[in-house]
Amino acid sequence: MSLTESSPVQVKADRNGFILVPDPAATFESIVEYMELRLEQSHDFFHKTDMVLDLRARSLRTDEIASLYDKLYEKARVKIVEVRLSDDLSFAVEGELRRLRGSRRGDAEEAQDPPIVVRNTCRSGVRIVSPSDCVILGDVNPGAEIVAAGDVVVFGTLRGLAHAGAGGERSARIWALSIEPNQLRIADLVAVPPKGGKPTPKRFEVAEIQNGTIQVVTA
Amino acid sequence: MAGKTIVVTSGKGGVGKTTTVANLGTTLAKKKHSVVMIDTDIGLRNLDVVMGLENRIVYNLVDVIEGKCRKEQAMIRDRKLPNLYIIPAAQTREKNSVTPEQMKTLCGDLSAEFDFVIIDCPAGIEQGFKNAIAGADTALVVTTPEVSAIRDADRVIGLLEASLLKNIHLIINRLNVKMVKRGDSMSTDDILALLSVPLLGVVPESEEVVVSTNRGVPLVHERGSKAGAAFRRIAARLNGENIAPDEDGSDGFFGRMKRLIWN
Repeated sequence: MSLTESSPVQVKADRNGFILVPDPAATFESIVEYMELRLEQSHDFFHKTDMVLDLRARSLRTDEIASLYDKLYEKARVKIVEVRLSDDLSFAVEGELRRLRGSRRGDAEEAQDPPIVVRNTCRSGVRIVSPSDCVILGDVNPGAEIVAAGDVVVFGTLRGLAHAGAGGERSARIWALSIEPNQLRIADLVAVPPKGGKPTPKRFEVAEIQNGTIQVVTA
Repeated sequence: MAGKTIVVTSGKGGVGKTTTVANLGTTLAKKKHSVVMIDTDIGLRNLDVVMGLENRIVYNLVDVIEGKCRKEQAMIRDRKLPNLYIIPAAQTREKNSVTPEQMKTLCGDLSAEFDFVIIDCPAGIEQGFKNAIAGADTALVVTTPEVSAIRDADRVIGLLEASLLKNIHLIINRLNVKMVKRGDSMSTDDILALLSVPLLGVVPESEEVVVSTNRGVPLVHERGSKAGAAFRRIAARLNGENIAPDEDGSDGFFGRMKRLIWN
């Protein structure tokens, strides 16, 4: 393969390192193939470098990005450190990809992932899935669903559905300033609150599994 | 200056969207503003019935959008107010005969000519809803003090926020003051705590609303009606006037005395 204009990926260099620009018409397979060939031909040159993946012209799916990341790293210890999605939107890859792979394998490292933080009220119809803990800075209204592999923390009133320890972690807990949901789930257990009034919490409430059932403790 | 484009929506059906549109439009027109009301409930039109203008329909919204007529031809003038128009929905077509882009263009054209463009949104959150909110800069979410209506209002507010419509206000319709006092119904405060959007007004439950709908004359034309007075206050607030909050029976003796003196 010759390294001409029509190559599926352009490798540009700037002060901070290399930039990969996939061609808009290129297939994902041809992109990977070309990059492997390119790294092989100039093994030492790209060894252990950091690269920016520029997807402004050609978009890739997250699993494609993850797979490209793995391929480049195996081949020449090349790291994609940043993905550019548009002129004003790019994200640092490191944490994102590790989380992706962690949730796929379901191994112990996922507990160390940073929690997902939601900075507004979750209204009906919203579903938030977190591979680790989930923090909501606002209310969770009826009809909203929060699913987390770890703990669920709500700095507001929990009225919707919360599922902590969705991966089967029975020690996960649900924290909220006030817990008034239709249903609570922790790991494989489901609880429905008792009918009638409940004492108003002084500071916050915690739902956790005690002796095999879900209990809400007012603190 | 371009006028305000207001969409009245709710999610759930039967909470009083069309009644709200008819009464707010009529009130604003009575205050000498030029107002056009658009019924976007294609296939289930009824704003024309509430306004008592059903027999004057020649062209409708879909005809305007498809270019079969000019928008002036589809606008029906109110029987009493010369500066109030409605554009009726098509009854024999479907919601997907209009696209959000077309609605945006139409609303833009109308707001250049009118002080207020008020859009009556269909129930639900599908195509018709997306069409109705496309051209609006303000949204009024109508709900009744029922759990189901509030749940749907919450969903709709979420969708409005997601479509970057930030100017959202709440109207609580059909509040039964006696039931709130007995503790059998949610109060204004309960609803606001859940929905957390600014309240524009509370309309008390009233049999007069049904009567006026059946007669095809908006309630605000009648002087003695409490619900009509509530709609007049909402219209005034919409117009930027600063008016004391509505009663919901929870403000006790002083509020009742004030109401006695005012009326």
